[in-house]
Amino acid sequence: MMPKAIACFENVSRRFGDLVAVNDANLELFQGDVTAILGENGAGKSTLMKLLYGVYPPSNGRILIDGEPSAITGPADAMSNGVGMVFQNFSLFPALTVRENLLLAWPKTPFWASERNKGTSEVLANLTRLAPHINPHSKVANLSVGEQQLVELCKVLNISARIVILDEPTSVLTPAEARHLHGFIRQIAGEGVSVVFITHKLVDVEACADKIAIMRQGKIVDVSIRGQRSMSEIVTLMMGSDVKRTMSPPALPKKPVERLFLNKICADAPGMSLKNISLSVASGEVVGLAGVAGNGQALLAEVIAGIHPVTSGDVVLDGQNLVRRNQMETLATPLGYIPEQPRENAVVESMTLAQNLSLRTLASGGIDVNSDVQALLTRFHVNPPEKDRQASTLSGGNLQKLVSAREFGSPRAAILACYPTMGLDLSAIQTIYLEMFAQAEAGAAVLWISEDLDDLIAGAHRIAIIREGQVVAVKINDGSLTRDKLGALMTGMNLDELVA
Amino acid sequence: MSADLLTLLGAWSIATLRSATPLIFTTLGETFTQRTGIINLGVEGEMLVGACVGFAVGVATGNPWLGLLAGALAGAALSCLHTALVLGANANQIGSGLAVWMIALGTTSYFGRVLVGNQVTPLPDLGSPLTDGLPFLSVFFGQMTMSVPLAVAAVVFAAWWLANTRSGIQWQAVGDSARISSENGIRPGIVRFKAILLGGLLSGFGGAILSVDYTQTWAQDMTKGRGLISVGLVIVARWKPALVLPICIMFGLAEVAVLRAQTAGWTISPHLMATAPYLVVLLILIVSHAMARRDADMPADLRSVFA
Repeated sequence: MMPKAIACFENVSRRFGDLVAVNDANLELFQGDVTAILGENGAGKSTLMKLLYGVYPPSNGRILIDGEPSAITGPADAMSNGVGMVFQNFSLFPALTVRENLLLAWPKTPFWASERNKGTSEVLANLTRLAPHINPHSKVANLSVGEQQLVELCKVLNISARIVILDEPTSVLTPAEARHLHGFIRQIAGEGVSVVFITHKLVDVEACADKIAIMRQGKIVDVSIRGQRSMSEIVTLMMGSDVKRTMSPPALPKKPVERLFLNKICADAPGMSLKNISLSVASGEVVGLAGVAGNGQALLAEVIAGIHPVTSGDVVLDGQNLVRRNQMETLATPLGYIPEQPRENAVVESMTLAQNLSLRTLASGGIDVNSDVQALLTRFHVNPPEKDRQASTLSGGNLQKLVSAREFGSPRAAILACYPTMGLDLSAIQTIYLEMFAQAEAGAAVLWISEDLDDLIAGAHRIAIIREGQVVAVKINDGSLTRDKLGALMTGMNLDELVA
Repeated sequence: MSADLLTLLGAWSIATLRSATPLIFTTLGETFTQRTGIINLGVEGEMLVGACVGFAVGVATGNPWLGLLAGALAGAALSCLHTALVLGANANQIGSGLAVWMIALGTTSYFGRVLVGNQVTPLPDLGSPLTDGLPFLSVFFGQMTMSVPLAVAAVVFAAWWLANTRSGIQWQAVGDSARISSENGIRPGIVRFKAILLGGLLSGFGGAILSVDYTQTWAQDMTKGRGLISVGLVIVARWKPALVLPICIMFGLAEVAVLRAQTAGWTISPHLMATAPYLVVLLILIVSHAMARRDADMPADLRSVFA
């Protein structure tokens, strides 16, 4: 006899205005199963699970829990019904302590929540078991991303969840941390919890999924048991057509001519300082910069782009020193810059797409927007490609494409790209890489900051590792580099420790 | 120390505390409201309504305690308007607060005319045969009413409550981010509703203390910006209830100093002299801002009010 589903989606749809985020989805979740939900960005994975967690009600269809129609109308109900969710960007309060964060998400918190109340000691039990190294009295803002995730997992364990939803949990972790998480997921599934694992990484699926549900354009297009389908079949189902992710970095020019040169850069920002960073990038070369988030790559990018001042050192592009420019001169330099978090750092949301594509012209006093904006929007698959639309209405992925269109759209002497494919689906990633490599082929020096080690290994000529504000290694990508080797350099541990 | 000096010291101390008491309640209320991410400029109006209704009920019943209670309830009732505009209609918080203030100013001016010149029964003082004749204490307790210890107790309780209870932590969380709060199973709308209501209750109470206990009169627009000052004092106190007490006492001290200087026959214009307490607040604000690391203590969701 088939075991009874702990939760069941019946013809569930969810619309936001004109957008159909989830379209007629059917899915069953079982006790002790790890269900991976695979799909590209915008396929509706997160929305589907937020319906179960009560963040929004479904527009159509119904959700059953233990065979009964779900009465969940908000996250509070979900938690008391044993449904826990770890959001992609976490739901922790950085200004509060770890203990306070745990208390907030614990239904059993008594009115008197002081530590002197013995009734609250239980809230820390899972933390002591799972992460004894985390001090419950430190503020969440002072924890690393991996530690924050452990706190999130404790929150879920504290409500003794029967269904645990993890939204892209590995996107912020180092390979070692991700392996640790995979083990943890297997463990709680073994204890009878139904785990839902939203991801777009096949590594995660291989590591710990029992069932694989694939979503495309709001629909669940396939549900299979692990091992039933080959990885290439799964990718095909995700993409809708057989798109292979091929990376072909341009060949290195015979005589390397240095174009972008970082000379002993030192800089200080709150909580981070750069120490003596030197790196040179030749014309036509793609240099990857890898590091765990928060090790100085963001500050380095702002220094090179002329946003953050240096305390000493130089940034030289084609023999011209860039560090003592004012902002208008910065705009005029032939450096293409894709910052992280485009919504905050790279677009003016209240302007149209056309104006955003022409920000440089507008800043230097020009009035006309570029005439070829329409072609750019199409070339970079910005959706919808309407040049008079306001930028604030675009999704994060499409804003990323818009910024790429501006920065890669005309020839540059150098490219500085920070996580240029963040939040994009596979076909868009493909476009971005093609354009970036085309810039290199045309002679630009490309400095590419990424945390996707597979992509860096596939696409960069050399890979520099940044840790605690220092470049600790620069490796030639001659085919001998592996994820684990780079991961070890990034974390400062040796390989054996990492595996253990 | 001579007895005269001690008597003088006692008089100054109690005058400072009594002048600070209405402000302590109002600032405490506004601190609660702002901790949940809502700014309420309507406290000025809520104080006025509290002063007016409190005084009227005090005169009518002859019982100052009933007056204080009525004032508090009137403040809470008026704060419902801010709640409806901000939480219900999603109105701009600054605009809504100013509207509440103006409505209160108009209505209390109109209905308060009949109260002018009336006498209210004051709260009994705390002087007792035990302290009579003692140099410092006889003056200190002889002029003190229950409102002062009540204010100190309220501050202590508020600081404890915010840091040590489930609801206190929830209120802090809502101020940090309503979105994350709701992901954690908290209903931010309800928390903010309660916080605005509590702010109104305490502001109304503070206003009633001003008219029933401190000045024992009613005059049109008698709060003279005290409510708005309390909004500023919240920032000076870094959104911490415990700091409300010393900050308000400093304001009270400045106010008493101005009054004493006037009676001592200083020749500076009284209008200019009256600005001194506000200058003191401004000075503290500048110093505390320079010393604090950026705006780290500000509830994060409050920023969106100004965005």
